[in-house]
Amino acid sequence: MNDLPKQKETNLSFEKIKKDILHPMQNHKGLELWIVFLITVISVCGWAYYIQLKDGLGVTGMRDYVSWGLYIANFVFFVAVSLVGMLISSILGLLRIDWITPISRIAEIIAVAFVAVAGLVIVLDMGRPDRVLNVMIHGRFQSPILWDVTVITTYLTVSALLLILPMIPDLAICKKELTKASPIMKKLYNILSLGYINTPEQHKHLHKMIRTLMVLIVPIGLAIHTVTSWLFAATLRNGWDTTIFGPYFVAGAFVAGSAALIIAMYFFRVNYKLQDYITDLQFDKMGKLLVAVCLVYLYFNLNEFLVPGYKMKTGDDIHLKELFYGNWAIMFWASQLLGNIIPIILLVNKKFRKPLPIMIISLFVLAGAWFKRYVIVIPTMLHPHLPIQNVPENFVHYYPSAIEISVTVLSFALVLLIITVLSKIFPVVPIVETAESKGIEVKIDA
Amino acid sequence: MKNTIKNIAALFLIFIFSGSLANAQGWTVPNSAKKKQNPYEATSKNVSTGKKIYNLHCKSCHGDPTMANMLPLAPVAPTDLGAQNFLVQSDGEIYYKVNKGQGAMPTFEKTISDEDKWMVIAFLRSFDKNKKVKQQVAEVKNPEVTDVKLELNVNEANKTLLAKLSGVTKKGKRVGLQGIEMSFLVKRSFGYLDVSGEDPYTNEKGDVTVQFPADLPGDREGQVNMLVKVTDDAFYGKLEEARVVTLGVPTDPVNPLDERAMWGTRANAPIWIIVTFVGGVLAIWSVIFLVLFQMIKLPKLAKSKD
Repeated sequence: MNDLPKQKETNLSFEKIKKDILHPMQNHKGLELWIVFLITVISVCGWAYYIQLKDGLGVTGMRDYVSWGLYIANFVFFVAVSLVGMLISSILGLLRIDWITPISRIAEIIAVAFVAVAGLVIVLDMGRPDRVLNVMIHGRFQSPILWDVTVITTYLTVSALLLILPMIPDLAICKKELTKASPIMKKLYNILSLGYINTPEQHKHLHKMIRTLMVLIVPIGLAIHTVTSWLFAATLRNGWDTTIFGPYFVAGAFVAGSAALIIAMYFFRVNYKLQDYITDLQFDKMGKLLVAVCLVYLYFNLNEFLVPGYKMKTGDDIHLKELFYGNWAIMFWASQLLGNIIPIILLVNKKFRKPLPIMIISLFVLAGAWFKRYVIVIPTMLHPHLPIQNVPENFVHYYPSAIEISVTVLSFALVLLIITVLSKIFPVVPIVETAESKGIEVKIDA
Repeated sequence: MKNTIKNIAALFLIFIFSGSLANAQGWTVPNSAKKKQNPYEATSKNVSTGKKIYNLHCKSCHGDPTMANMLPLAPVAPTDLGAQNFLVQSDGEIYYKVNKGQGAMPTFEKTISDEDKWMVIAFLRSFDKNKKVKQQVAEVKNPEVTDVKLELNVNEANKTLLAKLSGVTKKGKRVGLQGIEMSFLVKRSFGYLDVSGEDPYTNEKGDVTVQFPADLPGDREGQVNMLVKVTDDAFYGKLEEARVVTLGVPTDPVNPLDERAMWGTRANAPIWIIVTFVGGVLAIWSVIFLVLFQMIKLPKLAKSKD
């Protein structure tokens, strides 16, 4: 980008970059405690899942009306957040926007963690998870469920490759520098670095592969969230029966993903002391990007609610009135205002794009994005196609049970654990790419 | 939402009104209407026609006359139309109420023809203890018989069905039973289709001939399930004859699951969707495998430098 202010002349050397980025990987202070905490949460909530597995989905709040509850809302949210990998490292990467260099790996780590757990959330939502393979064995080509399973698996694979491939030069450095690493880790670095010693041929070959995947992940990334939206839009239900659901979900995914990335950037910057790499510039640019995607999302929201709201056709009117001033009004307007409109207004000011304020705003955006998915999934399910007589009371309301909430907490803890582990064993900021972008000579010894 | 509330409110009002008004005492009928007389005689033919119409339009709420098995609606259940306290009303009063309706009782002014309404009233009158004598004056008198038999002859060439109803008199002679209504029913997907025609009453020999419709679809061989019965069980008990006849138009059944469609099984998925899905998966994954394969080359490129 030409309007970028010229990088300040830094006193960074390749050795210093290596030292700064590799330092947190060797320093375990406080990390064990965090991991023990996450594992405890996962174990406790795993027990809740055990109860669900033993007693069936009846232990959840889901009944005949609301058969897609908290789990599916959470699944859509996870898929949405994972799309940031495609936005940052692929779309912006292909446009050769250089401020993303230090944060592209964090974006990929978020993408891998969230899409992996998104797939798992679907399994957690199953009464008989042992039959999950039947989707592949007996799945119908006409069913969006089969498409969804396919694109999620594909996106996970390509995201993992896009995490590992650009990391190969860094892993070669890890192999060399991290002498105190455990033998298992050394072996991992040795295998994954694929004997990379930065020869011009290797460099060229590697970047060709990376660029191929960067192009490939664009259709996959669009597909993953479009297909997720088709799970809803392929039905005739009020609130889901809309033609713009695909791009609407993709736009919303960019909002959620950008917010998640900003939060992660902030925590890595503070905890890993990476102020020299994840600079105010990155936060400023991410703030502008967040405003841009929020505006697109706002535009889609206007279309999604204003057009049917103007017509108020039978069926839609029940749904929309529930959202606008009925039982769902607080959640709906909170997600629209706190998660979209107010962040836009704040973030157009430069001073709110400083690391701490933008991180706090992003927390609201991310929470808003989560509640937005909840509002998309559940209110529609509460209104069945056909009225049923003598409906039990617990069909017409939906409150997630403690078990459901616990299993959802489990999925969040699992995401955080995956991000923690990946950022512990891999350098979160690309060493070689950062050096190259600053014009510093890179040396990787064989 | 608005419509739902309106409907619920309307139903609610209906119930309130029916609570106060929908009974014989609280439902005033103009004197002029009361005086109307049933122009049709209470012949057994008319009564059984009335029974058919009653079963079609009235039974779902009112139940069987005299059986008190009406729908238990609140606050006021429909009246048992065979009960004496209902039948004290004149023909004109019943006719008026059927026409106008009130509360939960709908109006039948336009849904049932006048003739049919009078038939229903004739049928209801057959339960009237005060007028029963009059009803039993039937135009035909069959002798008392035992061992009543229903025989069915099918003429596949002319597509006609001949049913014969006969019984054995006290003298031991088998005679045909006259003036009894028969029902000729063809089994369809949901329930029976009545093909009896205009005049399915036995003649003096106990015979009734019915022309089977020329355009009624059967199965692949043109077979249909035929059920012939005495319409009213009240005469000789339940008498019926079921038979598979080859009178229908041979038809290849169309199973919507047999064609390639979005609702079909996986094997019957539309070609375009299979091609799109499989093609997309193959294209994407072949690129992924290509990249994975290229990764193997990377270590080799390091050696070539030396």
